[in-house]
Amino acid sequence: MSADDHTIGPGDCGADAGAYVLGALDEHEAEAFRRHLLTCLVCRDEVAALQAATDALHLAVPPLPAPRKLKQRVMSSVHEEPRAPIGRARRRRLRFAPARPALALGITLIVAAGVGLGLGLSAGSSGGTRLVHATVTTPSGSAVVRLVSGHGELIVRGLPAPPRGKIYEVWLERAGGMPSPTSALFSVTSAGSGSVDVPGDLHGVEELLVTPEPLGGSSVPTHAPVILARLS
Amino acid sequence: MQLVHDGEARAFEIIFDRHASMAFSLAYRMCGRRALAEEVVQEAFLSLWRTAARYDGARGSVRSWVLSIVRNRAIDALRRGWTRDSRDVSGDDIADRVAGTERTDVEVARRDEALRIRGALDELSAEQRRVIELAYFGGFSHTEIAEMLGLPVGTVKGRMRLGLAKLRLVLTEPAEMMA
Repeated sequence: MSADDHTIGPGDCGADAGAYVLGALDEHEAEAFRRHLLTCLVCRDEVAALQAATDALHLAVPPLPAPRKLKQRVMSSVHEEPRAPIGRARRRRLRFAPARPALALGITLIVAAGVGLGLGLSAGSSGGTRLVHATVTTPSGSAVVRLVSGHGELIVRGLPAPPRGKIYEVWLERAGGMPSPTSALFSVTSAGSGSVDVPGDLHGVEELLVTPEPLGGSSVPTHAPVILARLS
Repeated sequence: MQLVHDGEARAFEIIFDRHASMAFSLAYRMCGRRALAEEVVQEAFLSLWRTAARYDGARGSVRSWVLSIVRNRAIDALRRGWTRDSRDVSGDDIADRVAGTERTDVEVARRDEALRIRGALDELSAEQRRVIELAYFGGFSHTEIAEMLGLPVGTVKGRMRLGLAKLRLVLTEPAEMMA
């Protein structure tokens, strides 16, 4: 399948299966193959079989003992960041390295882009619902934060899929602070649509940001934001 | 995992003890540098601590989840600019560096398992093994591999597919024959 051909014809059905389970397809190809899997039982079976082989690959690595100091460092961080039970209390604010260049630069660019393109952040309200239109770095994309009683939902349209091996992560920034990670991770459909509930109470939150991050999420932003919404 | 989800540091420590060796081994294999491997594993486990709620047991084991996070972190680290030329560390080379450390029974069992999987990989053609290792351990996309090896993209995909199919066959054959 070529980079420009998102369809999978009967002749090449399953040709991408190996690259898919190895995570070696480009994102648009992976998305096309995921769609194909929804309708092709043969390929689903093949992917399951090849996935089993792929899962065994890490076992080919001779075991090395993890350095003791590594455990000490990890556990030290864990004890410094006791996590409240999720669902019963808001996640504790996590520390950020100061002056994250990628984030700082990204915010500058995203705000500049918003001003330059006349995409000023705007808000509207209806009843108890307030809509905040966000700035999105991609020309085709749009995003709205829907606020109801201090809780929010981020709704995106026309947003490109996150890069291969990445997922979008939502961050919240309060006055004078650095962005805090949330448990809100999301991707988008092939049409670029998606929505995600923003966890916790958004009172006092000045900005909501979205960055592409590794699949497990990140504690610090590693990429420039692609969405920025000023909530206050 | 439920206890980790609930913020129990002790439960997290048990998860770390169980999987840190495998995680570090994979990170070292991918990065080829001890310091970077440690950084990758540390980031991966702290991510796990902070996002345990996202673990879905129906989608795989804790080990698979941990290792997928480690692998993604390692790929990110490599793509952030660490050179790739020095990380093609052979398994034997890594094993040699374990010399002097005390191996537990678990580690010995894992080493045997590693030898078995490597034996299965040796059953593949060198071309198949190469593209699979570049993708899995190197984090390269099929287009990058095709460019690197001067091959058509379709050839690379074909070698990945046939190589994995053969690997699965080699790994499952003995068990099925004994059943």
